[in-house]
Amino acid sequence: MIRARTERRRIFSNAMFALCAACAGVIVALLLAVSGYLVWIGAGSINAAFFTQIPTGDLNDPGGMRHAIEGTIILLGLASVVGIPLGVSAGVYLSEYQHEWLFAGPLRFIADVLTGVPSIVVGILGYELVVVPVAKMTSNSVSFSGYAGAAALAFIMIPIVARTTEEMLRLVPKSYREGSLALGASKAQTVLRVVLPTAFGSISTGVVLALARVAGETAPLLFTALGSRLLTRNPSEPFPSLTLQIYTYATGPYPEQKKLAWAGILVLLAMLFLVNIAIRLVATRHASTRLGKA
Amino acid sequence: MTTDANAISSSSASNPSGGRRADSIFRRFNVGDALLGLICRTSAVVIALMLASLVLVLLSSAMPAIREFGLGFLVSREWRVNELERPLRDAAGQIVMQDGEVVTETIKPAFGALPVIYGTAVSSALALLFAVPLSLGAALFLVRVAPTLRIAGPLSFLIEFLAAIPSLAYGIWGLFVLAPFLQTTVGPAFQNTLQNVPGLRWMFFETVTISGKLVERPIPMTGRDMLCGSLVLAIMILPIVTSVSRDVLKAVPRTQIEGTLALGATWWQSCIAMLRYGRAGLFGAVMLGLARAAGETMAITMVIGNNNQINPSPFAPAQTMASLLANEFAEASEGLHRSSLLYVALVLLAMSLVFNIVARRLVIGTTSPAGH
Amino acid sequence: MTATMTQLRPDIALRAPAPAARGASAVTYPIIDAIKRGETPEPRVHASVIDETPILHVRDFQLWYGPSKALHGISMPIAKDKVTALIGPSGCGKSTLLRSVNRLNDLIEGVHIAGAIELNGESVYAKGVDVIGLRRRLGMVFQKPNPFPMSIFENVVYSLRISGERNKSVLSAACEKALRQAALWDEVKDRLKSSAMGLSGGQQQRLCIARAIVSEPEVLLLDEPCSALDPIATLRIEELIHEISERYTVLIVTHNMQQAARVSDYTAFMYLGRLVEYGRTADLFQIPQLRETEDYVTGRFG
Repeated sequence: MIRARTERRRIFSNAMFALCAACAGVIVALLLAVSGYLVWIGAGSINAAFFTQIPTGDLNDPGGMRHAIEGTIILLGLASVVGIPLGVSAGVYLSEYQHEWLFAGPLRFIADVLTGVPSIVVGILGYELVVVPVAKMTSNSVSFSGYAGAAALAFIMIPIVARTTEEMLRLVPKSYREGSLALGASKAQTVLRVVLPTAFGSISTGVVLALARVAGETAPLLFTALGSRLLTRNPSEPFPSLTLQIYTYATGPYPEQKKLAWAGILVLLAMLFLVNIAIRLVATRHASTRLGKA
Repeated sequence: MTTDANAISSSSASNPSGGRRADSIFRRFNVGDALLGLICRTSAVVIALMLASLVLVLLSSAMPAIREFGLGFLVSREWRVNELERPLRDAAGQIVMQDGEVVTETIKPAFGALPVIYGTAVSSALALLFAVPLSLGAALFLVRVAPTLRIAGPLSFLIEFLAAIPSLAYGIWGLFVLAPFLQTTVGPAFQNTLQNVPGLRWMFFETVTISGKLVERPIPMTGRDMLCGSLVLAIMILPIVTSVSRDVLKAVPRTQIEGTLALGATWWQSCIAMLRYGRAGLFGAVMLGLARAAGETMAITMVIGNNNQINPSPFAPAQTMASLLANEFAEASEGLHRSSLLYVALVLLAMSLVFNIVARRLVIGTTSPAGH
Repeated sequence: MTATMTQLRPDIALRAPAPAARGASAVTYPIIDAIKRGETPEPRVHASVIDETPILHVRDFQLWYGPSKALHGISMPIAKDKVTALIGPSGCGKSTLLRSVNRLNDLIEGVHIAGAIELNGESVYAKGVDVIGLRRRLGMVFQKPNPFPMSIFENVVYSLRISGERNKSVLSAACEKALRQAALWDEVKDRLKSSAMGLSGGQQQRLCIARAIVSEPEVLLLDEPCSALDPIATLRIEELIHEISERYTVLIVTHNMQQAARVSDYTAFMYLGRLVEYGRTADLFQIPQLRETEDYVTGRFG
């Protein structure tokens, strides 16, 4: 009796083992199929014109996405100029001033809450908070702009960068801070000369990942940057972005534009893949030289 | 070095134990410290202001709709953007004529969030239904098997990378690959096998009012429907649910597993013990997936069909809160329509914040060392 | 190596614990018992200590971590240009006392103090004291070597850099001098630009000593500097302490009695936050005035 039951359990266990392996296999296969398909079709659609031309208006030969690539880079640059310093210094606050005013605890909660805000809501906030007031000020009917889009992206970046920075600074051993203070360094000197440089590598990794994340965002730009088919470098106008352009082409009716959308997805994925690989390589090397022995 | 006696004089006050409080060096005046403190505190305040502005702006812009509809907004099924004129019908469904002319009635615009709340809830729930079992199985594999095969590293990297793929990419795949497949292959297959099964007719037929009469007609198979939407959502949340579950299971102390194995448990029984030990954190992982699914915009907008209705059939197009916003916000003119959309945004925000907060509390409670 | 060490203090040889305790096993420690009851008995401070010129003076110093009291009315002068060791079982407050001298305990939430510590007659805890300036006058070395993740050179000149020194030749000269004093120069002179994290544990600790003495502090505070090191590295650090004690006042915390005997001129025995006996190291180890001290240094309790 007992032996039979044990045997049944063993067989059931083996079956479940196989099922778990199958789950992992299915997930990997599914995701590889999706990304592989995107890469496959994208590779068939991409050409030099994609990087060098801007939309022509000709439905059979729609040109390229140079304007959108540049637009995304400029948007990311603008978002970084605001988002990185703000995020990093807020992260320093969370880690180095954590006992102050009893504010750091609630602030960490707020940052967590902000990272969970759906990106479409951030886009709507950008519309209500930047686009509408600017339109009223300039008495235009609408004022979609690159600045509004960059602000929305920065809104998403700041809490992510702040929390990553905080977590990385917490990994810096307390003995570094004590050692520096015992040598007569001020708090600012300790933070700027010892703590931040020690965590510099991992903070940069976090910042790059945050940038990669917002580079793929579309929803926050829908009602802020709006998108444009022009090669514009003036962020006070409606502004192009790679994701917006992909979305417009993909949901539109024209086959040639759809091909460009596929190519755009490929470029996005390739960028993400390179970023991830680079970070992995740097992180492995970094871990052994910096914090490894601490 | 300069010193400033005033800067620390307050800290020498006596305390209950009879000693002096040690002067905190942070309170000493020092230009560098003051500057760094100012910058960091300002940034901290900016973050707090970000959340405050988010809530306040949405609340104030949604106020007209909140005043107009109150909480009834959440249970109302009407979503009519424009004023509608239509022939007045009597109880029998006959058009009312007067002096040889058709009498028309004017229906005012109306806004209710029930269809999009339903769409969000059902698409997210279905997505979890598809994704969670797969993710848990894969997480168990990653924690218990992959390390011995030395493939945990590459597998984890793959899953992290896939978690980073923008939703736009999944949306495009869904639109061009999954939706046509569902339309031409899966949908008809289900239809052929199930439509004559008693009690499943609702899956393939809908009842609509045409010219005042109730008519039953087959639901057109477009491929862009609730099923497609939830499948794409499921694929999107697979990596994140898997990787968080993996972290949670990794944090289960070895002694827990070894203890059960020592008592003669099979592999699967020890896995059950592991899942039970980490259940709070796993629930957190699921909530995180739910938050992702509920707030997802681009992918769902491309594949769910964008029809503001409540239809129980998985083959009927639907609308979620996020897709409604993406579709209508740009065209909405000032007034009740925009305000109602902001009301929807507010509900979406509240919902995803609750999911996120619960998830974070649960996950942090189990993966941080302090949790044990 | 061992020969050198015994030459350091030829006058001190540790007495082996007598296998048969005097009398029966009914040895009582009235002072320890009084301390355990929460009293603070008068410490036995030898006249030899009072005769020295003090550089530091601890006066009725008390310290609380929140509600719990860690130091009870410690009063002791620290002799200038001598090595003073603080010994006692763990939890006796010796590290706390050391960290009170450069006010590193200020960093801990909930610490408050009473009494005074004077450096050259100026109170360290007085109103308006420039804590940063104070810490620059006191060097400190921690239990675990804590070089910063920078080059060896940058580690050594850190305290000069934060005081605003930019002159390259001044920095190099100071770096070489400090590294020579820390007996590390020959080992690292060819790789000053490489990361300090690549050094061995003992080298890292000597680097930390070099970093602490580069600004020529008035007192060097050593918090169990050898506890994380192997015996050979420990021996080198002890030799180093002996050498630099010619130029600096050293206050060292150690739980290793042999180490206290080898490196220090004066030794203070602490127990549960109280000073028990304080005198010349030779006296404390050879002819202690208290039974408690004698039994502690010979390893019969504690």
